[in-house]
Amino acid sequence: MTDVRFPQLSQEQPDAEGVLATWFVADGDQVASGQLLGEVMVEKVSGEVLAPATGRVRLLVAEDQTARQGELIARVE
Amino acid sequence: MSVTESATAPAEPAVRRLTTARAMVEGIAQEMERDASVVVLGEDVAKYGGIFSSTAGLLDKFGPQRVIDTPISETAFIGLGIGAAVEGMRPVVELMFVDFFGVCMDQIYNHMAKIHFESGGNVRVPMVLMTATGGGYSDAEQHSQCLWGTFAHLPGMKVVVPSNPADAKGLMISAIRDDNPVVYMFHKGIMGLPWMAKNARSIAPVPPEPYETPIGKASIAREGSDATVVTVSLSVHHALDVADQMSAEHGVELEVIDLRSLVPLDREAVLASVAKTGRLLVVDEDYQSFGLSGEIAATVAETDPGMLRAPVRRVAVPDVPIPYARSLETAVLPTRERIMTAARELVRA
Amino acid sequence: MDDKTRLELYRVMVLSRTYEEAILREYHADKKPAFDIGAGLVPGEMHLSAGQEPAAAGVCAHLRRDDAVTATHRPHHIAIAHGVDLDKMTAEIFGRETGLGRGRGGHMHLFDPQTHFSCSGIVAEGLPPATGQAFAFQRQGSDRVAVAFTGEGAANQGAFHESLNLAALWNLPVVFVIEDNEWAISVPRGASTAIGSNADRAAAYGIPGQRIEDNDVEAVYTAAGDAVARARAGEGPTLIEVHTVRLWGHFEGDAQGYRPELADVPGRDPIPAYEARLTDAGILSAGLVTSIKDEAVARVEKAIDFAKSSPVPAPETALEYVFA
Repeated sequence: MTDVRFPQLSQEQPDAEGVLATWFVADGDQVASGQLLGEVMVEKVSGEVLAPATGRVRLLVAEDQTARQGELIARVE
Repeated sequence: MSVTESATAPAEPAVRRLTTARAMVEGIAQEMERDASVVVLGEDVAKYGGIFSSTAGLLDKFGPQRVIDTPISETAFIGLGIGAAVEGMRPVVELMFVDFFGVCMDQIYNHMAKIHFESGGNVRVPMVLMTATGGGYSDAEQHSQCLWGTFAHLPGMKVVVPSNPADAKGLMISAIRDDNPVVYMFHKGIMGLPWMAKNARSIAPVPPEPYETPIGKASIAREGSDATVVTVSLSVHHALDVADQMSAEHGVELEVIDLRSLVPLDREAVLASVAKTGRLLVVDEDYQSFGLSGEIAATVAETDPGMLRAPVRRVAVPDVPIPYARSLETAVLPTRERIMTAARELVRA
Repeated sequence: MDDKTRLELYRVMVLSRTYEEAILREYHADKKPAFDIGAGLVPGEMHLSAGQEPAAAGVCAHLRRDDAVTATHRPHHIAIAHGVDLDKMTAEIFGRETGLGRGRGGHMHLFDPQTHFSCSGIVAEGLPPATGQAFAFQRQGSDRVAVAFTGEGAANQGAFHESLNLAALWNLPVVFVIEDNEWAISVPRGASTAIGSNADRAAAYGIPGQRIEDNDVEAVYTAAGDAVARARAGEGPTLIEVHTVRLWGHFEGDAQGYRPELADVPGRDPIPAYEARLTDAGILSAGLVTSIKDEAVARVEKAIDFAKSSPVPAPETALEYVFA
């Protein structure tokens, strides 16, 4: 089980709030390590969420939902 | 890569989905890997990755010799693309907004498009001119146009308009490999950008290997027998949404033809569909008069008007500049509401 | 400059002038009694280069066949100086199937891939593609150069300024040559251009600029030699402006009523002047002059005969060559 956290896009504000903009995979999909899982936005900056491991992904935050940098947004089992 | 095996059969990896923007970029990147003569030029294409993410990540992969920011000099850098293409390179040049064509159109239509013909076929210009089109996010008169009718009208350049991620990649690869100048027009609303209104069909499965989507061939995005909707770009998404609703609510089955290419135009696909359904609705986000929608109607009328059981309907942007105020912009764009109304009237006619 | 080079400059200028005189004859032959632009074997516009030979000869003497040249609506002297096939060029001017463009382009749209020569009827718009050819040469690691010819009127067009900036910014191996023949059709330079010399515009883009006076082919040769050498050495673009003379009208059929000094113009012909100079230097003799001129006439008439005996393109092929 590996945690997937909202990436640090803003260094000045470590717990800045952003949005889970897009999921490229569905809850329960099989994913490979390094695979692009989703895209997040903090203000005007976008960032990628990559799978930290191979396995089945569980999405914990819905698309368009707000989340903070560092927050747990998914797990790979 | 290690895969944790469970007691049951091993799971299949998920089909890989990409946004249209990422799919386009993948097409460019794979061609740049394959062919060292492919370079990308334009405003903000390097570090910024294109203001609509059309070149995101290419600089890191290929470096500043091949992914090049230009000054604000469209005539110069589009002309530079032409000269480089004539001497054996395959440039992909970005015109940031199609609306900017006014400052550089001579290079495009009098040079890029005509050199092959003027030279009796002796000189080729294997160049891609890619450009962002479309409205719906309040960017007003000078930054919301589609204008594919204008480019398609002028001989000598191919014009492709992808509507979805898989076609975006395949058409980009085809465009780069084509020995002719290809104008590649991508709607900002289909790019799947996180900072624009969401559009579900902007993220879809894309095969990972390089592949060509044929230029000049339409695709039947949805089969049906009650009426034909011919369209392109973002309007394909809207037409499919309307088709789903018409099917669910009225039991009416619309056939949606995604043209994908305007030059060459797949007239046979249009005629075959209208011959089947007898009813034609053209949806076009470009200006209504003297453009694509009229061309589709004329294709049917000059082949066999007897095919039609009702007059042709067009849902296009009326002949007005695109207004800023959201209430006004929404009134002129070919929205789902306008498409639905026209489709209902068409099947009742 | 050695004698051989000087003689060759003279020979190229004589060939070019002989050609333009022949085209002048052919163009007007069947447009009488009153000028009808669409009539005859060579219909359409015709822009001849009599008087401007020094700019073409002096620059192109430094070029190889694989260097690129772009020119304008007045291209013949440049094409000849760069070695474009005279038979195919003439056939193209006559609109024949054996022409450079199979008759599709005509006199303003001559394309010769063998010598990387092209021209366009939109003034200044040949500069951006020339910078592109230079870009390709740079990327391909060769020492090939591109030369873009244009007029003093075109130097006010946006494409001129954009091209100089981009070429300078990216250090491209391109030479920009302005033929200042003093007239943009009927508008004199003083009524179109805010400054006295376009060579001064080079400083605005951080590149060297030089103006050659007196239509002097040897001064052009020297300046162009430096510019081409700089470009080949990777030192970037140069701007050269040649003050030349347009001996005839802007186009054939131009009565030039706007040109007050018309009576003085024939006296400014650069070829008799250069002929006298080389004769004084002992390089030319009356006999040699005759033989050079006879040779030019023979070559030109052969090209014209080739064109006239070539087939006209078949109407059924009108839709071909749009796409590769």
